Amino acid sequence: MDFSSVLSGFAVAFEWQNILFCLLGVTVGMLIGVLPGLGPAATIAILLPITYNLEPTAAVIMLAGIFYGAQYGGTITSVLLKLPGEASTVVTALDGHALARRGEAGPALGIAAIASFIGGTASIILLSFIAPALAGVALAFGPAEYTILALIGIFLVGTLGNGSVIKSAAAAAAGLLLATVGLDPLLGTPRFTFGTDQLADGIDFTIVAMGLFGVGEILYNLEHRNRPQAAVPSFGRAIPGRLHWLKSRLAILRGSVTGFVLGILPGGGATMASLVAYAVEKRTAKDPSRFGKGAIEGVAGPESANNAAATSSFIPLLTLGIPANATMAVLFGALMLQGITPGPGLMSDHPDVFWGVVNSMYLGNLLLLILSIPLIGLFVRMLKVRPGILAPITVVITMIGTYSIRNNAFDMLLVIGLGLLGYGMRKLGFEPGPFVLAFVLGSLLEASFRRSMRIFGGDVTEFVQQPVSGTLVAILVLTVVVVPLLRRVRTRQTANAEEEGVRAD
Amino acid sequence: MADAETEAAQGEQPEEPRAGGRVQAVVAGAIPVLLGAVAAWLSFGLNIGSLTEPGPGLWPLIVAGLLVASGIGIIAVTAKTRRDTEAFTRGTVAVLAAAGGLAVYASLYEIVGFEVPTVLLLFAWLRFLSRESWLMSAILAVAVTAVAYVLFIIGLNVPLPHLIAF
Repeated sequence: MDFSSVLSGFAVAFEWQNILFCLLGVTVGMLIGVLPGLGPAATIAILLPITYNLEPTAAVIMLAGIFYGAQYGGTITSVLLKLPGEASTVVTALDGHALARRGEAGPALGIAAIASFIGGTASIILLSFIAPALAGVALAFGPAEYTILALIGIFLVGTLGNGSVIKSAAAAAAGLLLATVGLDPLLGTPRFTFGTDQLADGIDFTIVAMGLFGVGEILYNLEHRNRPQAAVPSFGRAIPGRLHWLKSRLAILRGSVTGFVLGILPGGGATMASLVAYAVEKRTAKDPSRFGKGAIEGVAGPESANNAAATSSFIPLLTLGIPANATMAVLFGALMLQGITPGPGLMSDHPDVFWGVVNSMYLGNLLLLILSIPLIGLFVRMLKVRPGILAPITVVITMIGTYSIRNNAFDMLLVIGLGLLGYGMRKLGFEPGPFVLAFVLGSLLEASFRRSMRIFGGDVTEFVQQPVSGTLVAILVLTVVVVPLLRRVRTRQTANAEEEGVRAD
Repeated sequence: MADAETEAAQGEQPEEPRAGGRVQAVVAGAIPVLLGAVAAWLSFGLNIGSLTEPGPGLWPLIVAGLLVASGIGIIAVTAKTRRDTEAFTRGTVAVLAAAGGLAVYASLYEIVGFEVPTVLLLFAWLRFLSRESWLMSAILAVAVTAVAYVLFIIGLNVPLPHLIAF
């Protein structure tokens, strides 16, 4: 590891405007984490046009802050209301809410904040050591390796997501198809443009992300807008006692490691990590029956895991240029907008961006820890703002943002159309995540595939015969075997969790 | 708080959305098949080329094949389970109305500027979709538009078409 660039990264992270954007990002992240409805992917997508004019490092620092900040925020509603703001905090609701009903909401939230801080920070340290090594290996990758790598990425996101595997495959294929609209990447022939100039340059990634995640989620929530609002229980200060800390410190340690490892896996991410960490805690506990009734380890483990995973899921994006989940796909788009291609070259070509963003996460986690303890009350009060008021405001911001990309009203219609598509996909059981990810990777996958075919003289078996790409093919095959196992663990875990949730009521 | 009462009255609706039926499950598979078939047909119109010298149509053709295959797979699998779709409800009308309203909004943008359509969109959404009171909807619609004007046009210098200039 090149220490001078790590150190200059700290200098970048601590420039005053970057500190400001970091603070802005984590605050927005925490806020949307608290509010059920819009997730981090949607929020980042909606804010993309606003980051156009920012400096690349500041833009990515802010957007990254939204992502890991949301993990902190989601916990608050899980514990207090049993209404998880984010999927990755669903499992926290089990013991967190049980603690809250015993009047221990404050300590539960305090432990969650500390666990999140430790998990996140440990993960940044590990990232700083592993990322350079991985990028070094990836520098030698050619088109064949990128073809397989992109396939692994799409496959894992499709299969580790929540939907059915076959539907994710269909969604991914549709995303790949949409990516072919525009000019052929190698020959320049127009494809699927239906004769309009509007589509000749292809469809901007921002528009796809804003449509499917932003407008799509708003339309989807519109259908279920009559949900009653829950009353917020009172809670004391969010400071855990000595006993809570002693009980949870090992859980935090285990959760951090679990989260880090699962976060690197494409598609695994924070949700998977929190579920596995909960399972681990329950298994290692002397008295597993306490779980679901207010075991503090059931909060500490998953919370450290989801933050560690959120951080380590940056690794595939920053070192290989392969986004590991939907939010990373949107960040991939954000980097491309800034003229920076994420990949193995990022660390050497833009060390200030790479280390500036990575090191800003230390600060971001610290800010979240400091903010979350005094501000929890304030964030909870935000819950009283009716979703019916937020939705039209979000839509207007999305529309203005869309227009500003190319000063073009046609793009607004595209976003609305894609929003309807996102709504229809959700209703028919398709996940928008694999679609967007495949769309992002579509042109890379096609260009690499066609270049490899030329190099290999049309012989597909060369993918297996080349040593490096052959190894990657082996990994792809291995994941095909391992993934169903992971899915089974998760299904069982979720079923158990739901069952316990019912019993606790 | 008249809204709280209406919310409570409708609160009997189940939290979990209902699962869609068999027709919806088949439609979920038929759409990828159709989309793939159309894409494949269009790909043949481009030049397919060969594996050694791939033309612009080869990749879309491969993707179209994947779409058709997964669509058939969906029909085969979900005919048994039938539980992974969500039934359309009365709320679907609201969704379509919102999308329609947004389309009108987008078309008016370049003709009359952003102020009037934004006020109208916000007002209609707040009053009819979110069921806020007339007064609340009117105040919010104007206030949010004003804030958006200050933030985007004056603050961030976004070149939005607008009527009011300073």
